[in-house]
Amino acid sequence: MINFGFSINKPRVIDLNRNNLNKSKEVIKEMPELQACIGCGSCTATCTAGNLTEFNFRKVHTLVRRGEYQGAYEEMNKCMLCGKCRLVCPRGINTRGVVMLIKRKLGDF
Amino acid sequence: MKHIIVIGGGVAGMQCAAELAAHNFKVTLLEKDSDMGGKIRGWHKLFPTFTPADEVLSGLRLKLAQAQNITIMTGSKAVEISSTKVALASGKELECDAVVIATGYTLFDARIKEEYGYGIYDNVITSADLEEMFNKGDVRMKDGSTPRRIAILHCVGSRDEKVCQRHCSKVCCVTGVKQAIELKQLYPAADVFNFYMDIRMFGPGYEEMYREAQQTYNVHFVRGRISEVSPNIDKRLQIKAEDTLTGRPLRMGVDMLVLLTGMRANDDNSHFAANSNLRCQPSGFMQPRDSFLHNTESNVEGIFYAGAITAPKNVGEALNDGATAALRVKAWLESKK
Amino acid sequence: MTFFADFCIPFIVGATVMFIIIAAKYISWLRDLPRSDIKLIVKGAVSPRLFTAAWEVVRESLLHCRIFRVNPLLGYMHMSLAFGWFLLIAVGWIETVAYLGLKWVPLQGHVFFKYFAALNDFGTHKPTFDFVMDLLLLVVLSGVTLAWLKRLRSRAMGMKRATKHITFDRIALSALWFIFPLRLLAESVTCAIYGGGGFLTGGIGHLLAEGINADILHTIYEPLWWAYSSALGIFFLTMPFSRYMHIFTEIPLIFLRHFHLKPETKEKSYDNFEVEACSRCGICIDPCQLQAQLGINDVQSVYFLRDRRYNMLQQKIANNCLMCGRCEAICPVGINLNTLRQNSRTSMRNIPNENRYKYLRNLDRSEGDGRVGYFAGCMTLLTPNTLTAMQQIFEAAREDVWWADKSGGVCCGRPLKLSGESDSAQKMIDYNKELFYKHRITTLVTSCPICLRVFREEYKLEGIEVLHHSEYILRLLRQGRLQVGYSAESTFTYHDPCELGRGSGIYDEPRAVIENIGKLLEPAHTRKDALCCGSSLANTAIDDRQQLTIARGVAEELDATAAQTIVTACPLCKKAIARGAKNTVKDLSEIVAANIK
Repeated sequence: MINFGFSINKPRVIDLNRNNLNKSKEVIKEMPELQACIGCGSCTATCTAGNLTEFNFRKVHTLVRRGEYQGAYEEMNKCMLCGKCRLVCPRGINTRGVVMLIKRKLGDF
Repeated sequence: MKHIIVIGGGVAGMQCAAELAAHNFKVTLLEKDSDMGGKIRGWHKLFPTFTPADEVLSGLRLKLAQAQNITIMTGSKAVEISSTKVALASGKELECDAVVIATGYTLFDARIKEEYGYGIYDNVITSADLEEMFNKGDVRMKDGSTPRRIAILHCVGSRDEKVCQRHCSKVCCVTGVKQAIELKQLYPAADVFNFYMDIRMFGPGYEEMYREAQQTYNVHFVRGRISEVSPNIDKRLQIKAEDTLTGRPLRMGVDMLVLLTGMRANDDNSHFAANSNLRCQPSGFMQPRDSFLHNTESNVEGIFYAGAITAPKNVGEALNDGATAALRVKAWLESKK
Repeated sequence: MTFFADFCIPFIVGATVMFIIIAAKYISWLRDLPRSDIKLIVKGAVSPRLFTAAWEVVRESLLHCRIFRVNPLLGYMHMSLAFGWFLLIAVGWIETVAYLGLKWVPLQGHVFFKYFAALNDFGTHKPTFDFVMDLLLLVVLSGVTLAWLKRLRSRAMGMKRATKHITFDRIALSALWFIFPLRLLAESVTCAIYGGGGFLTGGIGHLLAEGINADILHTIYEPLWWAYSSALGIFFLTMPFSRYMHIFTEIPLIFLRHFHLKPETKEKSYDNFEVEACSRCGICIDPCQLQAQLGINDVQSVYFLRDRRYNMLQQKIANNCLMCGRCEAICPVGINLNTLRQNSRTSMRNIPNENRYKYLRNLDRSEGDGRVGYFAGCMTLLTPNTLTAMQQIFEAAREDVWWADKSGGVCCGRPLKLSGESDSAQKMIDYNKELFYKHRITTLVTSCPICLRVFREEYKLEGIEVLHHSEYILRLLRQGRLQVGYSAESTFTYHDPCELGRGSGIYDEPRAVIENIGKLLEPAHTRKDALCCGSSLANTAIDDRQQLTIARGVAEELDATAAQTIVTACPLCKKAIARGAKNTVKDLSEIVAANIK
């Protein structure tokens, strides 16, 4: 079986006609800089939690932006907030802030 | 006879000085180093044609040697610039009718990206170091053995907010492809990996060369930026990246890591800007009067730009700039009559 | 002899309501204290600490010594108002006793003594009291004048910015400003009509009697006393809901603090005393770099405490703080601002989850064997120069080292705690603690001040000495296990990391190490007053550009010392300062390793 890294995307197609993008828009509104991500993967490569689990920050936040929320909260909970990702991000994205924001939006607190 | 001073003896400055002399101006070419040529002196072959850099340089030297009325002053660093006078570090002052600044760029210091281990671990080298090795015909690891696995990392000191270099240096992608091919020609058995964020093949023949690297030379391309390098148990360099196309972390030991260091605005730019009323761009490169019709003129009358002083440029573009600036100087002086 | 007039009603109502509300607040706060805190109070109340606390009450609640040290003019303003008013009440009470002997007089009798003394015959006139009371009134009035000045031109008072106040504060503030001028007028008019009074009230009374028609004086006489009483009444009514709650709250706070009560990771009842002891003086605003360098105006400690007190704290305010501790170091009330902010964040974000970090189980990626453990910390893995330098130092000192996280470990937990997820942070603390015990280390060295702080404050590592690498290196130097070369030509400047300096009190060790290698030049802000690099993990609100702006400010100061090398002792500070500095930035361990003999 192919290991897709983590198991949050059950249906294979990201259906932007059906996905509810409200939460995604809220995330972008509060943290517009997230849109500057060029997907270089530095964050995921350096990630302390990613070193130990299948947590992939780049993938999770990208899926959240596409309206794929299922499992994202649980995935983000693997993050230790150590801050290495923020230190390596070439786009200067406040990655720790993104983790906290996505958890707040998806966890409703 | 009008006197023009060209500051900087790299390809753009040499070209400009030769063109000005051909238009019957008295030219003084200032070079801070002891020899002409600038950065190209360190290069081995030029992309995408693999033309030896020496060939271009000797062509320019010949052009200068044949020209009349050119004074070449090596070891002369300009410290104050105005359109009528240039002061040298030696204290000497030169009068003139126009100035062309062709001081080029500064190479990004890879030690600043500490996590890549340049200056810490043996066998982490920059693209400039590799060119030097090619020139010496001696590409080896520190201990003298031949590398079996080489990684080339793109965008070191370019497109990186963390080192305050937002801009794309534009030539590194193609340099990475060129160096990968050269390495493969040298060591066909070695595996060469290019780690990139985006591959920007903007020039004629570049895309074709990229394809050749993939198809003919089996160079591997991994879309992901290396986040850190550490020594591993068998003394290799352990690199960490995400293979973003599969969405999974990638780890590998390599014998050699080549950092494609970017072009940074010349260190002297801010000094010139402050003292001569010249405008800098946010990237630190000088701001031409406009990007289209006056792209080799500065915002100050009588001061012109040629080459990588205004933006990262490849050798061909720098040469064109030199010739254009010469024409612009001529047109400006004639319009003043 | 009656001590009642209609105009006393506003005062009596105000004072009664105020005392009831304050008493109710204190009782409910004390009632909700956890048992452990109550034990501390009982133990403290029968110890000499009771007296040291009482002495501090005099120094701080009345004299305001700490503000004096920060800013003498501001100190005088607070002292003249607090101590002056206190003396007015105290001397006023003695005055009544002097006239009437020891007998019960209702509260309004003391407060409006001048009014009742004019109506009744209390015996021989005592001019000394008139003089003293007038002098005290003058002192208080001078304080009021300075308070006005501070509102109008805060810069004249040595403050760049004064606090922006809410409505309750504005009402209370206005009432307070009017109390003493009205008292002066009421007493002066009384003197004008009935004679007597000291140099101030008597003097003005004399002028009024000469210049103004007696009928007019008689007409405004009662209304002035009404106005004075009303100003007092309004002030008292608004006081428990405004910043002036601090006047009384600071007193129990000082006692409780001397009994060793302090705020903790999670909010508790004691925090109320700290929160309501904030006088919103605004001294915390100017040292805040978010204010000074980024112009962010609504997140400083004074606003954080205000929002928390009125239950209107938002995450974006709570999260927007570097927790550098510059405000805490200067707070005249000594409030534990960082801990309070951290436990507010915990209240907002802590979601206990048993399944979280299950992946830590049975994990061990450590290397080597030795009684000395080295914990690099996540950030240090991105500054490999520090790692290699530490390796060289350990080798030179012939130390066997157990490397906890050389090829990636588990975070120390502090970043998560700072972000408010305290229960989850505990899982990392437990994991690392177990790892340290498993490898039987006796000394734990770390080069990351963030890790250091949580190791010392939360881990409670028994039998393991926790050292920052600056302390460890200095020890090696003093023991002679490590020798470094000294050169008078090498100049260094040192940046105090917040978590190491203000956070852990380590200022001297890194400096001593540097002075073994070369000359140390201090930047403009140093030690307790050192600036934050801006990259603090505690702040998850500011963006990269803002971090860079702060870093550039710090780097500029360090460059200005003209030292050849900027030295710091934190991987995060190093990365941040390197973005803005012209000179090279190095970790302390690097300059040591480079000069080993």
